[in-house]
Amino acid sequence: MNDYANPWSYRLQWAYMLLVVATLMTPVFYVMYVSFNENGFGAAEYVFTTEWYGVVFGDKLMMNALGWTVSLAICTTLITVPFAVLSAKFYKNARNKLPVLFLLMLPLFVAPDIFGSALLVYFKNLNFAFQWLGDQLGTGMFDAWFRLGFMTALIGLVIYTIPYAFIVVLITMGRYREEQTEAARSCGASSWRAFWDIEFPQIRPGVASSCAFTVILCFNEYTRTSLLKGGFDTFTTVLVSQMLNTGMSEQSYAMSAMVSYVAIALIGGIILWTLVRSDKLGREARAKAEPVAA
Amino acid sequence: MNRLARGAFWVPLIFMAVFFALPLLLTAVWSVFERTMFWMEPGFTLFSYENFFTSARLWNFLASMWHSLISVLICLVLGFPIAVFVRRRIPQVAQHRVVLLFILPFMVSEIIRIFALRPVLQRNGLVNHTLLHLGVISEPITSILYTPTGVIIGEVLSFLPFIVFSGFLAMEAVPKHVFEVCEDLGASTVRTYRDVILPLAAPGIFAGSVFIFVNGIGVALLPNILGGPGAVNAGLIATQAIVALDFPLAMAVSAIMISTLLALLYIGHRLFDLTHVLEPAKR
Repeated sequence: MNDYANPWSYRLQWAYMLLVVATLMTPVFYVMYVSFNENGFGAAEYVFTTEWYGVVFGDKLMMNALGWTVSLAICTTLITVPFAVLSAKFYKNARNKLPVLFLLMLPLFVAPDIFGSALLVYFKNLNFAFQWLGDQLGTGMFDAWFRLGFMTALIGLVIYTIPYAFIVVLITMGRYREEQTEAARSCGASSWRAFWDIEFPQIRPGVASSCAFTVILCFNEYTRTSLLKGGFDTFTTVLVSQMLNTGMSEQSYAMSAMVSYVAIALIGGIILWTLVRSDKLGREARAKAEPVAA
Repeated sequence: MNRLARGAFWVPLIFMAVFFALPLLLTAVWSVFERTMFWMEPGFTLFSYENFFTSARLWNFLASMWHSLISVLICLVLGFPIAVFVRRRIPQVAQHRVVLLFILPFMVSEIIRIFALRPVLQRNGLVNHTLLHLGVISEPITSILYTPTGVIIGEVLSFLPFIVFSGFLAMEAVPKHVFEVCEDLGASTVRTYRDVILPLAAPGIFAGSVFIFVNGIGVALLPNILGGPGAVNAGLIATQAIVALDFPLAMAVSAIMISTLLALLYIGHRLFDLTHVLEPAKR
């Protein structure tokens, strides 16, 4: 159907799509709205305040949890993104793609509570096995390898974030032409040089996006982390335990809004960067296409 | 390329095999272990499965499957036309930017989105307040939150963006001229969807549906927060078993869930070849 022949159908479809996005975001925006109300949820009178954010920032437990969340997010990103790049390159060259795809994408389909439970029991068994090994060798150096803590939570987060990072990098790599690597290799470049100087600059937007997604996912994740974290708390585990134990307090609204701000800021940044970059590339392409004045 | 560099490509796969595939496979082994006071010991007993299949847990599990199935259908009806619209009507250069709109709700924490539904759906929440203000209802609706309807609404709002992504990925593999050919041949919209679009986009639709279905029966927070006291799904059964230190039962539920997932993916792959979902990345 021609959009110009029936512009109303086109507009209606746009309106429907925006309505769906707005509906999906309404609960989040409502939480943000309530988080600035001095009287909290359900009050007849709305009085603007930033007091609840001050309460969150003044809470040592919360700041400690925020520190752990940031540490986990940084470590996860440092592992997940190189893994995603390596996996995407491996996948592109693999003859039998199915097992690779299966291993890398399946975490997306396994429910968080199920995977968290399986990994919890796995780590407990590994911990027993390593302690036994240490006892046999007369050393205590293996005792804490797989004890529930930062390391186990980190492994859980890496597995959770790999599919997202992998798919983003893979789609970006899909636009890269392998002939460029072959040309660089023909000119005598090593495989690393060809990757770093020719391929990486072209997949950099995908790598940057997968870094952002990994950080957001780490900030958002609750189930796996709560099962695998051991003795420390993250921002979401404190938030959920507060919500489940005392209900949604004004502080909970502020904390929820803060987690959402991180996601919105990062995604908004990616969208803006994508727009600016595509405009810049478009201008460069047009400039190259123009005939050179004599 | 030297051996060390070649070996580096295997590291992520080995990591995933050791810390992802192996624990999932071992759930079947641990599920037949015998329960002790605080842990479990090697043995062979089907008590955990008996405990699951002969108790109310089975009916809760089946009920959660039914709710999840309804959510899948609602997500498909609401979300798939958006994927088709973006692919068919929006200029190529803008398509990915439009899809990014759905990344935003998807990337806001699922926990926040689920919890945020409480103040929206509850008695004095946003929905009732708005409807009362507009005069559509005279009394607040109380049959949404803490009922299966609340769980289904939560599942739809949580997982709808995924059907848009998987649908869009699948639609990227459909050449745009296919739509023009359909129009030139005079095919109606229904016929175009039924005979052309749906078969071509089947791998993406299937992958999106399995994601929603499995997460619907596996995310414990959904019934825990929105479903009220009687609502239970497989994820909640597993986490409750862990809290009660009944590890073999938790592993039995996990093994059942993983078997269900693998069976669904196997059927899907035999029918549609699920690697087609990543067709755009292969170009």
